[in-house]
Amino acid sequence: MIEKVLIITKKEILENIKSVKYWAIVGLFVLLYLSSTYAIGFALRGLGQQGIQRRERVVLTLSSQVANTMSYIAPLIGIALGFGAVAAERDKGTIRLVLARPIYRDALINGKVIAAFILIVLAVLASTLIAVPLAISVQGVNVTLDDFTRLVFVTVPASLLALAYYTMALFVSVNAGRSSQALVVSLSMWIFFSFILPIISSFIAFQILGPPPAMPFNATRPFQPGQGSRQFAEYYGKYSQIVNTIQIMSPNARYTSLINALFALRQSGSYETLTSSLGARWLDVVVLLFYIAAFAIPSYVLFLRRQETR
Amino acid sequence: MGEYVIETQDLVKVYKDRSGVVKALDGVSLKVPKAVLFGLFGPNGSGKTTLISILVGLQLPTSGSAQVLGFDCVRESIEVRKRVGLLPENYGFYESMTAYENLEYLGKLDGIPVQELKRRIPEVLELVGLKEWINSKVKSFSRGMTQRLALAQALLKDPEILLLDEPTLGLDPQGSTMFRKLMEEFVKSGKSVLISTHLLHELGYICTQAAFLRKGKLVAQGSIEELAKVYSKEKGYSYELLVAEDVELLVKELMKLEGVIHVSFENDKVRVRASEDISDELASLVGKFRVKAMVPISPTWDELYQFYQGGGWE
Repeated sequence: MIEKVLIITKKEILENIKSVKYWAIVGLFVLLYLSSTYAIGFALRGLGQQGIQRRERVVLTLSSQVANTMSYIAPLIGIALGFGAVAAERDKGTIRLVLARPIYRDALINGKVIAAFILIVLAVLASTLIAVPLAISVQGVNVTLDDFTRLVFVTVPASLLALAYYTMALFVSVNAGRSSQALVVSLSMWIFFSFILPIISSFIAFQILGPPPAMPFNATRPFQPGQGSRQFAEYYGKYSQIVNTIQIMSPNARYTSLINALFALRQSGSYETLTSSLGARWLDVVVLLFYIAAFAIPSYVLFLRRQETR
Repeated sequence: MGEYVIETQDLVKVYKDRSGVVKALDGVSLKVPKAVLFGLFGPNGSGKTTLISILVGLQLPTSGSAQVLGFDCVRESIEVRKRVGLLPENYGFYESMTAYENLEYLGKLDGIPVQELKRRIPEVLELVGLKEWINSKVKSFSRGMTQRLALAQALLKDPEILLLDEPTLGLDPQGSTMFRKLMEEFVKSGKSVLISTHLLHELGYICTQAAFLRKGKLVAQGSIEELAKVYSKEKGYSYELLVAEDVELLVKELMKLEGVIHVSFENDKVRVRASEDISDELASLVGKFRVKAMVPISPTWDELYQFYQGGGWE
């Protein structure tokens, strides 16, 4: 049984690693990441910060760019691997040749899920390990081992996010009549969580809170530090609370929250420890794991029950 | 396992789709003997593909049971699939992989050791005439070449039974000849082949036993002689006589025989159609009219197909 699973896993990995689709997504991440970090570096230099003097500031900029870029790309890696996992095999008819062999149906789906996990980790690691050192050299700063470890550690939540989207796409793939259908539905989910839900949650927050407080401004007197900041802080505190509540079940939001925790700084300027960062954001991990389980288990059960009628 | 390699009992398969309930198989009880080339004939939608899918466990029957080589197709489908080579009607290969890689993957899933695959893959590709394309990607293959590769994958594990669904679709005449020879060799080695098709003119004559499916029901099964006998009882018996002289006299004599429906002739050939078996009566005329040869004419596969699909026997 396990032998057949490994045969399927190996074939899936080799087939994807040789595909243009897979490396195009990795390339897209590297490109987006490099261009966005370069643009930010350029802007900061333009503001007169002399090549960005504060090291942690640069690292935070880089990490937020990894997070930002990855929050779009990781779901695409998951979707690219998931939407066709079963539906494309049905479309092409390969599933009939495979299932006519002495294998159990669960061997096929297990092999595909294991391969997807490996391919996701590989894609996320490859993307990060190519893009981050390149970006660091472009910015011209030295990073400590701790910075680098944390930048690499970003791959864990990114892999969880990609896996969450993979299992969603797999669920759609198991149930879809065609792989094109599966792709459309999977991309719709990505668009919803990446673009529509943030807009909806902002809209709702503004509807509840009303417009932000006006900044008191008197041109005849110099601006007082702290002036109006309490009102702003209160307003945006409430705003964030509403937006976060609405997006509590959004995998993208949970991923971003997890990344922010990884790079949270103490008063001293050093990072929070990994355990305390993760301890504070356990809900983010739970939500991402929930997505993986909530879609992987029904996909598995439905695939086992389904018959090949085409 | 008894004398049959495939047996089904009252097999029923019901689908539920948007248009309602579809009965793809309706109480099919099929028996396929050992070491025969068995034809499963019927038009599109008659249930042939569903029946084959149930035999290899791709689908489950709604009711009834099926056994292949004595193994239950539901409870022991893994055992069935270890011994059966399937060429489905709708299939595909991994197009970014070569012919060798596709067969290697499927062979490994069959449980064939890697060393044996290294020997076996070139061997089956040679059999189907694809050896020189062993390292070509499948996406460069024509329809006919893909069909040959599909046959190769079915033969890969050297199965005891081959289940072939429309096996000659897309094959050129050379490919069809190769296929027929291959199947005859396969049966000669004591193995069995079930061919599902609606192309009787191409495959009918290599089958020694057959079954006809119509709208999910098995309307007839048996040896070609048995099937022809039923046909003749209903449609009449035909004979051809080769006569040296006195053709017109013979025709007059034939018209007098009881049961004769129609007599026609052209040059030295006389054709007789009768409602009953008149071979004894004709034999008595052989000496009288210098008949060089008298042969009963068997119905063609197309005639049998039309007959059984038209409801001549149920």
